[in-house]
Amino acid sequence: MQRRRRWAWGLGIATASALTAFGVASWQANAAPNPAPSTAAAADAPRVSDPQPGPEAAAGTGADPLTTDEVGKARAAALTPELARKSTDVTGAAGPEYLSIELAEEGDARTADVYFYDYKTDKLVKQVVDLRTGKVAGSYSAAGMQLPASDREVQTALDLLMADPLAAELKSAYQQATGKTLAGKDGLTVTAHVFKARPADAATKQCGKHRCLQLVVQSKDGTFIDANDLVIDLSGRTVARLK
Amino acid sequence: MNYRKIAAGGAVLALAGLMLTGTPAHAKAPAAACAGSNQVKETLPNGTTWQLCWRMQPQAGLVLEKVAVSYKRYPQQLLVLDSIRLAQLNVPYDSGETEYNDITDYGFGGGFLETLTGDDCKGGSARTGSDGAATPRRRKILCVSAEPSGLAYRSHDWDAQGREKVYNKLGHDLVLRSISKVGWYEYVTEYRLHDDGQISARLGATGDLSPGDYVNSSRGWPIGKNARDYASMHYHSAFWRVDFNIDGKNKDKVEQYDTKPDGRGPATAKLKTTKTDIAKEGSFNRANRRWWRVVSDTSKNTDGHKRSYELSVGADDKYEGHPETTPDVTFTQSHACEKYASGNADPQCATKKTIIDFAKDKETLKDPVMWVRVGFHHVPRDEDQSPMPLHWQGFDLTPRDATNMNPLTPDGRTSQNGQPR
Repeated sequence: MQRRRRWAWGLGIATASALTAFGVASWQANAAPNPAPSTAAAADAPRVSDPQPGPEAAAGTGADPLTTDEVGKARAAALTPELARKSTDVTGAAGPEYLSIELAEEGDARTADVYFYDYKTDKLVKQVVDLRTGKVAGSYSAAGMQLPASDREVQTALDLLMADPLAAELKSAYQQATGKTLAGKDGLTVTAHVFKARPADAATKQCGKHRCLQLVVQSKDGTFIDANDLVIDLSGRTVARLK
Repeated sequence: MNYRKIAAGGAVLALAGLMLTGTPAHAKAPAAACAGSNQVKETLPNGTTWQLCWRMQPQAGLVLEKVAVSYKRYPQQLLVLDSIRLAQLNVPYDSGETEYNDITDYGFGGGFLETLTGDDCKGGSARTGSDGAATPRRRKILCVSAEPSGLAYRSHDWDAQGREKVYNKLGHDLVLRSISKVGWYEYVTEYRLHDDGQISARLGATGDLSPGDYVNSSRGWPIGKNARDYASMHYHSAFWRVDFNIDGKNKDKVEQYDTKPDGRGPATAKLKTTKTDIAKEGSFNRANRRWWRVVSDTSKNTDGHKRSYELSVGADDKYEGHPETTPDVTFTQSHACEKYASGNADPQCATKKTIIDFAKDKETLKDPVMWVRVGFHHVPRDEDQSPMPLHWQGFDLTPRDATNMNPLTPDGRTSQNGQPR
């Protein structure tokens, strides 16, 4: 059925131009067998330019995204000696946990907002770096405020979970979903979102003030493993069950 | 008939007038808003050119900035938006067990942003840029394409000799698209810039249904064999943040229009339309025939009418789960640290967590930001497996008096401006 339609399609074109027929037929062979588009529409298909990306500039202009160089410089400037000394990261080491960086949305001067989490005080820290001067132009922090997790935080959460007795639940869910035994964390692909306690969450009521994550876990072949009831408190380095 | 003959004669005069006023020669080139690789500038087949800057933000994903349009007939470039982007995506399940905030708890940029592959950008240009990650990588992440949008207009006409003619034209959109994978959902952030000046913002969702959210029959729909696996109904309740700057004047104001029954005329009901100025911050809800526009106080088209863009929302399911997800549209004075409709986490303004907080002090709107909420309550169906066919939600921004006539008016119709006399 499908083959006959393709053949008929190619023949129709061939009466117009053998060369076009070859091109369109080979395209058709690669494409999903959609209802055949009219050849007139194909000829009229609007085009957009397709510029080749050049090498990345050292610095951006205007609304350009932050360049690799700018990110490096802004991160270095944002991590002031005082911030490095007074804060701790997700592993417990000195210095804040680097979360993200973005171009400040308003104002003419190019400015980077660099975000850290300080696990010592459980505060989100924002360092505003003027990219022209390379200096910190503003410094802010607040408790009870959570941005999405960094890759290292996600991995730390997984490590905490695997070392906890509740890992048995993850292993059981893995077994149920895949029919296999979970050998270790290398068998998993994990993303996470920040978890904030809701009124009824007794076991995790500190989450929100503490930095907590819920994991979205997949086996290496893409099967989702239900770990939704497990909450990892990165500030308290504990694992709890929601229900 | 009479009108048309006069109109045909007037066309020459009107065209001459246009040539005097509409030339681009004296248009001052604005300072570069971004470098070449982050600029999109494309001319559609009908001669409309859209120009903008794009980049990826860690949480919001695709951000369009300095969105400007010019037409073959109106070559002076008109800035419309300072920026447009997503500002939240709540995904609560009807079980009441789970609510995901896909923008502020995950993000559409960085590692959640997909590299375009296969058919993702078929027929278009996959543009390379920074993905906005904490350690950014340059990848193919924005699809730019031009797509037919169907019939733009159609009209009969007769020339001075009484010969019949049909004006009709195929329209096109410049389409910008990026894809973000959050858990089992894969979201398409899409902006369609039409050749008649309209801007459509849409969010598409595909991927797969939640593997874990199965419930009873009143909160789900059976999608496997018989009546066993009830996939949970859920919302995708989205916010967009729209910052207008019509004609670059920074003099935008907000107006609400309401049309209400006003007695009866000889044949049928009379309707009366009134305008309400929205001078201060606040949240607003839809009503029959109600609409809002952002209008420049100083920029006028050649008919002397103030240029504006109107908000048009179509299908929408309101999500009453939170005070901030209940209103349809909220207007706030622009502040740099008021970034997300909820889950706003900026230590520089620690008390400003939702649009309700932003609007609470009823500040005067000097540079209004429009927060548009559009929800889709998803009742799963058998066809959602698998992958799920894309479902879409969004809104349109329609030009109202941005130009003195249809920007695609064919030559023979340029005199048709105002009541035929």
